[in-house]
Amino acid sequence: MGNHPANSVDKAKDAPKDSGQVKPFRIDLFKTIPFLKKFCKLRSFQFLVIFPNLVIFVFFLYAGLFGSRVGNRNIIIIFVWIFWWFLLITFMVPFASRVWCVVCPFPFFGEWFQRGALIKVRSGKTGGLRNKMFGLNKKWPKALSNIWLQDIGFLALCTFSALFLTRPIVSVIVLGGLFVIATILAFFYRQRAFCMYVCPVSGFQGLYAMTSMIELRAVDPEVCRRECKTKNCLTGSEKGWACPWYQYVGKMERNNYCGLCMECVKSCPNDNISVFARPFCGDIHVKGYDESWKAFIMLALAMVYAVTLLGPWGTIKEWANIAEVGNWKGFGIYAGIIWFTALIGIPAVWALASWLGKLLAGDRSIPTKEIFIKYSYMLVPLGLLAWIAFSFPLIMINGAYIISTISDPLGWGWDLFGTADIPWRPILPEYTIYIQILLLLFGLFFALKRGYDVSLTLYQDKSQAVRSLIPTGVVCAVIIFAFLRLFIG
Amino acid sequence: MTAKLVILGVMIVIVCALIPPLVASSSSSGGGEKREFFIKARQYAYDPPRIIVNKGDELHIRLASLDVVHGFFLEGHDIDALIEPGVRGFKLRHPSEGKEFTDVNEVVFTVEHTGKFRYRCSHTCGTLHPFMQGELIVRPNYPFLAASGGTVGILISTLLVIFLAGKKDKDAMPGGDVQ
Ligand code: SF4
Ligand code: SF4
Ligand code: SF4
Ligand SMILES: [Cu+2]
Repeated sequence: MGNHPANSVDKAKDAPKDSGQVKPFRIDLFKTIPFLKKFCKLRSFQFLVIFPNLVIFVFFLYAGLFGSRVGNRNIIIIFVWIFWWFLLITFMVPFASRVWCVVCPFPFFGEWFQRGALIKVRSGKTGGLRNKMFGLNKKWPKALSNIWLQDIGFLALCTFSALFLTRPIVSVIVLGGLFVIATILAFFYRQRAFCMYVCPVSGFQGLYAMTSMIELRAVDPEVCRRECKTKNCLTGSEKGWACPWYQYVGKMERNNYCGLCMECVKSCPNDNISVFARPFCGDIHVKGYDESWKAFIMLALAMVYAVTLLGPWGTIKEWANIAEVGNWKGFGIYAGIIWFTALIGIPAVWALASWLGKLLAGDRSIPTKEIFIKYSYMLVPLGLLAWIAFSFPLIMINGAYIISTISDPLGWGWDLFGTADIPWRPILPEYTIYIQILLLLFGLFFALKRGYDVSLTLYQDKSQAVRSLIPTGVVCAVIIFAFLRLFIG
Repeated sequence: MTAKLVILGVMIVIVCALIPPLVASSSSSGGGEKREFFIKARQYAYDPPRIIVNKGDELHIRLASLDVVHGFFLEGHDIDALIEPGVRGFKLRHPSEGKEFTDVNEVVFTVEHTGKFRYRCSHTCGTLHPFMQGELIVRPNYPFLAASGGTVGILISTLLVIFLAGKKDKDAMPGGDVQ
């Protein structure tokens, strides 16, 4: 990725067909839905979508602090960890890329401080930018200009998930803490350094947003290359703020690090930016070990959660539930297994499969490292669909809690909408397994299909490309089988 | 990619998905036996966590709690129970028929459908309550067998079809017709 060249795969080695896009097929949504363009062009766009969310978020924190201590009676638990999570992974990311980052309240105060404005733009000069910005505006350290911090942060957070999944107060500490860190970092570092390099839920959104069925891109990259001298999307203008995510739309070819804030849409003098609809899994290039490891970590966590939360084994729940049970030895084993699987186990298997793929293809000129990184893209659709398959029962089983907590958000015995006492009842639980089967098989299919597209960027000979794919393809099938075994076996 | 190859791919997946269930149904024996289980609930699991039976078996299930009040909601069988600690028997109801619980010593039913059915706690019992569950497996587990076959089928058919498609348009542009 542009921001940390040290980590990216050398592009010169890429085979001829390296467009970054599977297929140019796309529909210009700004053209087909003029209202959408109008809305995104509003100066107040960001404020309008973030502010209501901020109010809700503050209310959730209040509920977490003063509401019921029983998780499934408190809106912060039910809405954040069940409802939000489900919407995020099932709909937002696959269909609308980082749309969550458009509305996310975390950067609200930091960005307000940096801009000294909620709605208007200030022109001026800050670093190389054409906007006047407040704060120290330091550059983020180079060594941390990747998503390793997010990789480790998310893994660490998830190790303690049984805590904040069940305890409102822990959720308040985690969410409130992130909110404070996001704000403080904005005083010191340029723009959304927190979002780019720190936010624990940023990394996987970026990775899985590659699958998304929308993208924000230049309408005609030639205009950017030839005619546009000012590059206002990156540097800002009197109409819009410089890209808070440091993206240059003229060369942007992946969804990973675009927060869809729509500033560039306003600042581009050539009206050359739009939002497009496109096929599933449009971006296919994983760049750098940090992104590969994100894919491994997410996959490992999906498995761990499937075992811990959806499995029948009490001992594992006891290990995970450290605060209540206090079994530190068990928790140590549990945490050790998670970290080992995510950071060493799966990557080692992947390395072996990549190496075998290289042997099978019979072309020694392509380094195993490149196969390893590029083919790790297969785990993107696979991991995403595994997560969706995991999240579906969560919502079908606990959906009733959503309806009841909406009437009694703090667990104080209110009944705002008359739904507080609806009995808990899973929604069609006996059909969940069929949804899960379809999701998992769909994930495997896309892993293989897009894996082939990736392999064509490495090998020109098609039969070589297919051969190189066999070992990693088998690994993907084994992973899907493991999920099937857990969910329906 | 030609329509013929797509049809070939789909056929492979279907055949692979059908083989394991067919093999299992022709070799499956048993069923119709009386099976007794005593399931003990505690925070946050059931003991035994998994019970495995055959289609047609008659299940006699007794329930007890070792700590607090728990529930027992068996998916797909219209069974919901309330288990209080320190008492013999438990309270049972059939959710589709209404809300009333009745005191019973055991619940008896015959398993008609195959697959995995979870029994979950239906009475808030503590922090991990929403995740407290056990599994009733009714063999032969056709959905799982078919899905496993389907996994192998998708692996083989996808690789085979892209390989054949690649062979076909060898003279075409590299990567020209991967969709
Ligand atoms: S990266 Fe994190 S903090 Fe930033 S907008 Fe997205 S979710 Fe919010
Ligand atoms: S400002 Fe517009 S035209 Fe210029 S480089 Fe950015 S997207 Fe292209
Ligand atoms: S590329 Fe545009 S929409 Fe994306 S983050 Fe940058 S300014 Fe916002
Ligand atoms: Cu319980």
